[in-house]
Amino acid sequence: MAITLKIQRFLGEKKWEQEYRLEVETGMTVLGALIKIKETMDPTLTFTASCRSSICGACAVKVNDNAVLACETLLADLLKRYASDTLTIAPLGNFTVLRDLMVDWQPKYDRLKKIKPALQPKTEFSASEGCRQSKDEFKKYSKNSECILCGSCVSECNKSNLNSKDFLDPFIFSKAAKFVADSRDKDAVAHLEPAVKDGLWKCLNCQECAAKCPKGLSPAEDIEKMRIATFEKKMSSNEGSDHAMAFYDDVKELGRLDEAKLALKTEGLKSALRVPVAYRLMRSGKLNPLEQAKPIGDIEKVRAIMKAAKEKKL
Amino acid sequence: MRYALFPGCVLRGAASEAFLATVKVTEALGIDLVEIPEWTCCGASHMQDVDELTSLAINARNLAIAESMGLPVMTVCNTCTLQLRRAKAALDSDPELKAKVNEILAAGGYEYKGTSEVTHLLWVLASNPGLLDGKVAQPLNGLKVAGYYGCHLLRPPTVMNYEDALNPRSLEKIIGLLGAQAVDFDYKLKCCGFHAFWTAEKDVMQVTGKTVDNAAKAGADLLVTPCPLCQMQLDMYQPEGREAANSKAELPILHLPQLIGLALGMKKEELGIQRHISAVDKIRF
Repeated sequence: MAITLKIQRFLGEKKWEQEYRLEVETGMTVLGALIKIKETMDPTLTFTASCRSSICGACAVKVNDNAVLACETLLADLLKRYASDTLTIAPLGNFTVLRDLMVDWQPKYDRLKKIKPALQPKTEFSASEGCRQSKDEFKKYSKNSECILCGSCVSECNKSNLNSKDFLDPFIFSKAAKFVADSRDKDAVAHLEPAVKDGLWKCLNCQECAAKCPKGLSPAEDIEKMRIATFEKKMSSNEGSDHAMAFYDDVKELGRLDEAKLALKTEGLKSALRVPVAYRLMRSGKLNPLEQAKPIGDIEKVRAIMKAAKEKKL
Repeated sequence: MRYALFPGCVLRGAASEAFLATVKVTEALGIDLVEIPEWTCCGASHMQDVDELTSLAINARNLAIAESMGLPVMTVCNTCTLQLRRAKAALDSDPELKAKVNEILAAGGYEYKGTSEVTHLLWVLASNPGLLDGKVAQPLNGLKVAGYYGCHLLRPPTVMNYEDALNPRSLEKIIGLLGAQAVDFDYKLKCCGFHAFWTAEKDVMQVTGKTVDNAAKAGADLLVTPCPLCQMQLDMYQPEGREAANSKAELPILHLPQLIGLALGMKKEELGIQRHISAVDKIRF
């Protein structure tokens, strides 16, 4: 069947959308279509690709606003998904575009360096003895080794879309989490500190990165694991960690959330500045500061479970 | 059709109108709900940042109680659905973890078996559209509705696998069955920012304003969401959102059961719509 690909073009300061009509061959991928256009219709179309086996990460693009690896994505699947014979192809989001579908990775590598993305072996390891660890210790981070730096996770990241200056890219958090979890590394804090400084607690928890990673990684879960590590390392608290702790404490104390005290527990005295909003919510019956939250009937059972869980860590 | 209802803190607190509307609408549609006794907070996607195993265990407890009722679980909150399904997926796929969590649950006298599925009101209705047959007394003809999914009913797709996370259709299907017209808009699958309200407030207010503005510019008369947390963010903070996004848009933001209730012929007061902050007067039912 014949389809139309609307491809976002970019050269210098000029940006435009160009339509290409082509026949879909059986088994044709997005990359196959881009190569066919370049070879038979328009040699100026620029994109990056290399391995054609989903392992180099060079060919990620956005199709209908969602990042995919062009080399592994069948056009037939996309046409079925969107029930249309027209697809839009654009460069990854949250990258600087160099030309057409080609994006600039250098600023990302510069940001990646912030979290010290290399193993710092413990002093007991040596070149002759190596860096031994158990199978279980290896399993804690092995999945993260599968990141191919394709950039799909950041393309539609809802936080990066709004402001990426105070928030590292999701794959950078995953890289940091890898070294935090690696028992051979001598200093987890060296990876954690820059992660906290550059947005660990600012993730919106939208799970967009987990939905887009072609390798099944979850930067969102890696962010959770690093947040836990900040508690374990007794790193300084902030609104994010205090907010999370408020939920933990409320479940232990009451079984449920004490909404009326959430702002105070999260922000401390700063929450007094929220009086105008609180008044708005009180007027509509959404907030009752005088309401005294009571524990659920089975609170002792809940506390016993929480105590048992604390004693039996993952 | 009978479910163990997991209301979650928000339906029993700030969004109690969503609880009211859920009860009224499910009664009218013949869905029998029994609230899970002694349920606890699901952790709201925050508690696991402190301790993953504790978060898993308290949700295993919630599920174990529902199992003892012999019923599948239904929630009306995206984040509760995710937290419960995430716990279930972890426990059902890892016998060692399940055994470990059951040792923990034994401290409270519970056992997690894995017999109750976890679903959401939207999924129940989208899978059983016949429930609405003959019940739409007040079709919402001419009403343009922006359906806003909210993240946690779609993502991560490995856990929230009811429909295609990149091109979901369930909400549009229900809007259509109510006689209204679903409006497509660019922000319908984006994040409202609720969970980062305290840490990235400036960004969150901006996306709140942009979402409402985008839906309004697409021609929507109102926005409906299956998530009470998205509803709160987009409704309660619309004034701040407008300022952050430099927008003039004002839209009513309804909980899914409220929109259904209107189509079933219920009045907006019966559905607690007057408890909302933004543009309530624009609802003409």
